[in-house]
Amino acid sequence: MANKNTAKVRLAEDSFGKRAEFDDIKVGAPLEPMEWVVTDKDIEKQCRIDEDYNECYVLGSAYGTRVAPPQIQYRPPRWMLTRTFNVRGVFYKWEFESFKAIKPGKKIMITGKIVDKWIKNDREYIKFEAIGHDETREKVFFTRRTHVLDMVERTAPREGSGIDSGHKPEKI
Amino acid sequence: MASVNTIITNDTPIGFELPPIARRFDISMFAAGGMKTIHNDEDAARAEGLDGPVAVGPQVAALIFRMMGMCFGEGWIVGGRNAITFRRPVGVYDYCIARGVVLSKEPEGDDEVRVECNVWVETEAGEKAIVGICSGLVAV
Repeated sequence: MANKNTAKVRLAEDSFGKRAEFDDIKVGAPLEPMEWVVTDKDIEKQCRIDEDYNECYVLGSAYGTRVAPPQIQYRPPRWMLTRTFNVRGVFYKWEFESFKAIKPGKKIMITGKIVDKWIKNDREYIKFEAIGHDETREKVFFTRRTHVLDMVERTAPREGSGIDSGHKPEKI
Repeated sequence: MASVNTIITNDTPIGFELPPIARRFDISMFAAGGMKTIHNDEDAARAEGLDGPVAVGPQVAALIFRMMGMCFGEGWIVGGRNAITFRRPVGVYDYCIARGVVLSKEPEGDDEVRVECNVWVETEAGEKAIVGICSGLVAV
């Protein structure tokens, strides 16, 4: 990495508007729900990104078809967070549990909410959860994540416009 | 298709070391379709308080998931659990190795055992960038 950064401001906005502030994010606030269908192309891309070509993800599995790597569920809850709150920040903790295999062409309904927030070491943290159900209302996955809103300490002033936003194209 | 062969079974002892998975990252892996992000652009990263572009956390964590998939097969795909902490950023050109050790085995239901593993990703410098616990299921 480059020389030590001495940036001492927290960005106030980016191309998607004002950054969400700690006080804007309420515990219990729902995240915008979404329907998600994984495609064969999505699975292939996830395998390529992760260099993970387990035969279950490529050839087939005991579940009757090829299935997606479980970590493919990373993105939708992140999209849901960003749809609801304009947050860049960085990932701090990631929990998930897989209840059913994620199969191509099957619809998953995902809901989520903010479950906690706190300040530690002069930085702001939020925790959110999301759960995916299939069309039979069975759980497919659960995830709980902690996100740091800014790398720069919270006592730094908010000013300026960022280049990167948490908003990304909603595709794998 | 029948179940895939796995490395971890009910007979695997506590303390067994999972086969490590290594990868050298490159900034081209974080291209993001031409968008400037904290993962591929010096200015974007520094504006957010980082020292430079950093690898995408889930792509680094994927080394652990690949290791778990290899060790547990379908017992990772259904029933797998992950709880990891990103302790420090990984540089976009860093070499990383995922490692793991079997920590415990507990019955789950009538015919399965949950095998918990300490897992981590270390950099070339030996720093643990990601630490946590993952588990998968094996048949009794």
